[in-house]
Amino acid sequence: MTAFLDVQNLTVEFPMGSAIAARLRREPQPILKAVDSVSFSVERGESVGIVGESGCGKSTIAKAIVGLVRPASGTIELDGTPLTGSRSRATQRKIQMVFQDPGSSLNPSLTVERTLAELLTIHRIVPKEQVPERCGELMDLVELPRSMLEAYPKRLSGGQRQRVGIARALALEPEILIADEAVAALDVSVQAPILNLCNTLRRELGLTLLFISHDLAVVRHISDRVVVVYLGTVVEDGATEQVFNDPRHPYTRALIAAAPKFGVKKQPGKSALTGEPPNALDLPSGCRFRTRCPLAAEICSQVEPVLSGPPDANRAACHFAWEESESKT
Amino acid sequence: MSKRLLEIADLEVTVQRRGREITPVDGVSLTLDRGEILGIAGESGSGKTLTLRSILGMLPHGSRIRGDLRFALADDPPAPFSPDAVHGHGISIIFQEPMTALNPTMRIGDLIAEGPRIHKGLDKAEGRARAIELMKLVGIPNPERRSKMWPHQLSGGLRQRVMIATALSTEPKLVLCDEPTTALDVSVQDQILGLLQDLRNRLDMAIIFVSHDIAVLGELCDRLAIMYAGQIVEIGPTDDVIADPKHPYTAALMSSVPSFQKSEDDLVGIPGHPPDPESFAPGCRFAPRCAFAQPDCRTAHYDLVEVSAMRATSCIHPEALSPS
Repeated sequence: MTAFLDVQNLTVEFPMGSAIAARLRREPQPILKAVDSVSFSVERGESVGIVGESGCGKSTIAKAIVGLVRPASGTIELDGTPLTGSRSRATQRKIQMVFQDPGSSLNPSLTVERTLAELLTIHRIVPKEQVPERCGELMDLVELPRSMLEAYPKRLSGGQRQRVGIARALALEPEILIADEAVAALDVSVQAPILNLCNTLRRELGLTLLFISHDLAVVRHISDRVVVVYLGTVVEDGATEQVFNDPRHPYTRALIAAAPKFGVKKQPGKSALTGEPPNALDLPSGCRFRTRCPLAAEICSQVEPVLSGPPDANRAACHFAWEESESKT
Repeated sequence: MSKRLLEIADLEVTVQRRGREITPVDGVSLTLDRGEILGIAGESGSGKTLTLRSILGMLPHGSRIRGDLRFALADDPPAPFSPDAVHGHGISIIFQEPMTALNPTMRIGDLIAEGPRIHKGLDKAEGRARAIELMKLVGIPNPERRSKMWPHQLSGGLRQRVMIATALSTEPKLVLCDEPTTALDVSVQDQILGLLQDLRNRLDMAIIFVSHDIAVLGELCDRLAIMYAGQIVEIGPTDDVIADPKHPYTAALMSSVPSFQKSEDDLVGIPGHPPDPESFAPGCRFAPRCAFAQPDCRTAHYDLVEVSAMRATSCIHPEALSPS
């Protein structure tokens, strides 16, 4: 594989409940597989959207890539070099993250300038005397007035804070920017310019963008490729337009049907997706979507489907992903 | 029977902030018919939630309401009312976060039965039967078993259904919804929106649905009101307001929403910020951010003016939007 960012069989586990209680009951401690054998790759300069419902593991995937959680197994390679749990500062710099809530991810007791300067100094991005100038340049980059460097986060609006969050990530001159629900908390009029900013940065700095969101319309707007995650596994992966126009996995199809669509008239409540995802501690056998799937058949409870598909098409993890359309057309 | 269910005229809500009195809702007027779904869209701080809550008097401590609110309790035309008299008798409210809105120390069945037992005088057994009936109505599977569970044992979607059942338990004519699907996943949100629409059709209740999500409102509502800086700037049938805005703020808002149709165009967004309620200026409050603003916008008297049947805008130059 020669992909820029290559994630193979990534698995992240979290022990649940109290270890002592489990020991006293002489039971093994329950383990939640938040991410289960996830594989995907991202090309340099590409923008990939990871979509899924809450609890599907999309944020955990991001955290594993940045190095905030340690994978139980699997490999993450950046430009051919494996990324391990303990990373050098130089490696850490290459992947940066923007978080959902800029209100709580910025240090309230530091001015914007000190937030940025601290990073520039610790990582020795520029010589000390150039730090103030670089802070100013970063503000230009995220389209904030330089005068705002003196401000504390609480004085800024949500959109401005999120721009500072992006400036902070960009301070380290990363190659990959991971945005974890970065616009979810913003009003649409503020969200739109932030999305535009992400696009501009990608074009001008050649950034690779990993965009994690539950909002299909946002992902469609910003990504070249989409990875759909359900209960810790990738169920579909393909070019954005292909996935949205011709979804192959019944979950993707249902998710698209359920999403409210601005500019498209539809009746709510007509999606095939009923009920809610099963408990991640007690997964169904075989395909984990089968309990909510309109196509579920016997094979689905016995064999876990793998991601597959013809070349140049989206890949889907469903036994019927490609059969069903042939019988239809 | 009068068709009109609710009339609000010149509603003003004043709130104390740092010792000063501010007016985050400033002159809202609207009407609602029986069985109608009205959406109120607006960004954070636009006053949409305060408008909704003022109907039931659920406002922060120290706030004051001025204006004329009328509600048709029986089949008569709308008449002035006190919030306490209608809460549970005709008007119910559903909140955004079902976990904090449901009493964690009561079992689901008791929670749902509480309203009917207080307001309709049902005894314990009748209340239980009514709770199970309501749980069936809102599509909660296994209602008998679930009625004995606690709120924390349910998922977010089921909790929201419990809240809807609680709201419906007193057979309201009007259900106020304060962003009830914002915390939910799209698949669950879709189910809840479908449920609300279905309940409206079956029970002929009216709904006022407040949300920041235009796509959600577009699906659910018959009519849409757009709020900006404490005022309604535009109101009309949902599809018309979305497709052919008559106020520059509405137009700018619509061009900020990522469309489900793929477009290579950049989203537009709105430069600047909404004004702070402490410094509302005279004239049109959107004028400082408006691309079409003219000198008289900053001085002209503001009011919602009907531009065509069912449609009203506060913009005094709506023709600027559609040069023809």
